[in-house]
Amino acid sequence: MLKVSNLVTEFASIKALNDISFQAKPGRITTVIGANGAGKSTLLRTISGLERPTSGSITWFDEELTDKSVEAIVRSGVAQVPEGHAVISQLSVAENIELGGLFRKRQARGDLEIATKDVYELFPILFERRREPAGSLSGGERQMLAISRALVARPKLLLLDEPSLGLAPLISAQIISIVDELCKSTGLTVLLVEQNANTALAVADHGILLALGKVVADLPAKELIADSALRAAYLGY
Amino acid sequence: MNSFLTAFFAGTSQGAIYALVSLGLVLVWRGAGVVNFAQMGQAMFTTYIASQLIQNEYSYWSAFVIALISGALLGALVDLGIMRPLSSRKNSLLLNSQSMRTTIPVIASLGILGVLKALAGIFWAGEERGFPAPVPTTGLRLGNTDLAITGFDLFVIGVVFLTLVLTTIFFTRTGMGLAMRASALNPEVTRLSGIRVGSVRTLSWAISGTASSLAGLLVTPKTNLSPNTLDLLLIVGFTAAVVGGLTSLAGSVLGGFILGYVIAFVNVYSAPENVFLAILIFLLLALFLRPQGILGSKEVRRV
Amino acid sequence: MSKVKSHKVIGFRSTRLAIIFFLFILLLSMQFGPYNQFQLANISTLLIAVLSITLLTGASGQISLGQGAIMAVGGYSAALLVTRLEISMWLAFVLAIFISALFGLFLGLAAARLSGPYLAGTTLVMALAIPSIAIRFDSFFSGDIGFSVDYGYPPDWLTNLLGEISIEEWSLYVALPFAALSLFAVLNLSNTRSGRTWRAVRDNEVAASLAGINIARTKVIVFVCSSALAGLAGAIYGFRGLVAPSVYPTDLSLLLLTAAVIGGLRSIGGAIFGTFVIVFLPDVIEKITKFLELPETISIYLPALMIGLLLLITVILNPRGSAGALEHIRHRHKH
Repeated sequence: MLKVSNLVTEFASIKALNDISFQAKPGRITTVIGANGAGKSTLLRTISGLERPTSGSITWFDEELTDKSVEAIVRSGVAQVPEGHAVISQLSVAENIELGGLFRKRQARGDLEIATKDVYELFPILFERRREPAGSLSGGERQMLAISRALVARPKLLLLDEPSLGLAPLISAQIISIVDELCKSTGLTVLLVEQNANTALAVADHGILLALGKVVADLPAKELIADSALRAAYLGY
Repeated sequence: MNSFLTAFFAGTSQGAIYALVSLGLVLVWRGAGVVNFAQMGQAMFTTYIASQLIQNEYSYWSAFVIALISGALLGALVDLGIMRPLSSRKNSLLLNSQSMRTTIPVIASLGILGVLKALAGIFWAGEERGFPAPVPTTGLRLGNTDLAITGFDLFVIGVVFLTLVLTTIFFTRTGMGLAMRASALNPEVTRLSGIRVGSVRTLSWAISGTASSLAGLLVTPKTNLSPNTLDLLLIVGFTAAVVGGLTSLAGSVLGGFILGYVIAFVNVYSAPENVFLAILIFLLLALFLRPQGILGSKEVRRV
Repeated sequence: MSKVKSHKVIGFRSTRLAIIFFLFILLLSMQFGPYNQFQLANISTLLIAVLSITLLTGASGQISLGQGAIMAVGGYSAALLVTRLEISMWLAFVLAIFISALFGLFLGLAAARLSGPYLAGTTLVMALAIPSIAIRFDSFFSGDIGFSVDYGYPPDWLTNLLGEISIEEWSLYVALPFAALSLFAVLNLSNTRSGRTWRAVRDNEVAASLAGINIARTKVIVFVCSSALAGLAGAIYGFRGLVAPSVYPTDLSLLLLTAAVIGGLRSIGGAIFGTFVIVFLPDVIEKITKFLELPETISIYLPALMIGLLLLITVILNPRGSAGALEHIRHRHKH
């Protein structure tokens, strides 16, 4: 279980995250929603170690993640798919995927091959285009590649930062449903950050609403979808 | 015709050495965002180590190998001892300024250069000394005609060619090579893939140190060895790297050979004292006509 | 209203500082023998060159490793004017400033497109290439031999005023007024609107251009001002006796950069301190090595070693230089 307690992250003494506490259940999708600037991305970046928290703690089951380096956090089974379909466009599709599993190459070569086969089965289009540079992919394919890069590391916790950003609704729905299936079939825990709440909450077990760096609602996803007053107040729709 | 061949062969073997220097500069620039002006100072130092070993009756080849290893170690040491502490001082006021972030490592590398030159002077005195070649440096003959190339030239070309092939294999076929390319292109995604970007960066410094150390071993049989001998090589290597676009490994090698030919032809058809001027003009032409490098595509960054 | 007032205050402050510097060096020279008087003249001359780096790097963040080459431009201009056209040295110095500024304009137009390491490398190549021009066109620039030029004799009114003036004193009297004037000019420049513009470009080019600052033009202006100073320094430096390629080696460029860095790239007081260090440190080290009876191989290279180490230590421990360290201490005492 992911447990975030009293987390504070500051940029030049402005609190981007102000005393955030919540838990994410294992094997489920927890969706974090909030307007632009609410601190959603900062939350993910703090969990993955890209930003250092000022205070508070982050634990994954018994493991303390708070002061670990990004690399060490990835190696404890936490993978982040950063905002903006982050792939390395000059490298080929296959190289991007290989990169994600590179740190396991020595210990688990066999499993790495299986993991690579798995992501190609999940996204067959990537297999077809595996020799092409990642920069030539469409937005949706790039997002698939970014997720694949994270998945070959066989993470237990996947942090997804606005996967539907800039994608057509149909494609983003498809990606989210693939993530949902993955959760159900492999027991992966997902922390999903989205601005576009409906699709993201539909597959989630739990929903967290952030505003100005604080948790304003922490409810079962269904209740959050139903609470139109709350959403109108914080998201404007 | 004969002078053309002379220039061509000299250009090829000198260009091979320039290619190594330029490759070393580009490796560190891509991997760590630093143009290392101390690079040939490091090479000078390791060549002195080899020279010392040979004087102590070690064989050429063991001295050769030890010099390459010390080149790698010295490169790693520069990163771990100086560049890494520098880049971790993010809260320093001066480093908050955009332009200072690239300027400060340049200044640090000049400090390293000064220290290495002074140390070499203290340890090995300042006067020039010769450095042996493993094969004869006399011109080859085919039947009755003198060829404009020496056995050593062929050796240089062979060694550099082998090095370039190995480097290419390393970068395109191994996981470590992939990690190095990835962390040069996008450190954040690479870190999120669980790769220790800091160690990869140190490795770039080490490989660059080895390449330039090799360049030092290959050039000194012709130029002799003194604390200042390799300064010119740095200038030429930098120009070659800029001609190649400063970020492309293949471009840097190509740039090295181009500079080799330019300098050789200026030497043969003009006069040696025009070489510096030719380099400056060539550098300025490269900067203004093709700032993205000969192999670069149009959209690339500003210089 | 308040703006005008602040300008006046700044003008007053820089005048005062320049005069203090002038009197300080003068008083110091009276305590010294001929050798150290000559060193003070060197300090005054090199200070102008170091200020040209403080202006360029400290105020705009651009790094030039070719300041020595620009000094050569100034030195050769003045030497050619004096030997070929036989004009007075003082006029030649002033003309050298303009010629170097013009050179700086061309350099700046080229350099405005370059940043960081590109500029550093290009100016380093320039530092090597410019002196070789003198050898390439040796009938005009008289090659390796160069031009023998000197400060001449002090005018009668000065000897009448001060009595007998030694060569060393005279070289100080030539260099010091220029140093004080340069100090005054740089102090004023960095406190005016253009100084603030330069710093904005240094700290964040994108933000500066969004604020309506013309980045390219700003960079060119900085280069022109910096080159004018370096050219003046080069002229005075050359007239100590010889203007030749060997007087303006690459090492000179690096030494000047070192002085600017160890003093603190952003501080004019630091530039003065750094210049003192590079001029007097070799002497101090020589005394120590003589005292310790170190072998010659060490004593020759020790100054270079110390200067390299100083550069590294400054950059690693406190990139703002000794001026920054002082500020830090003062700051702590206040709280």
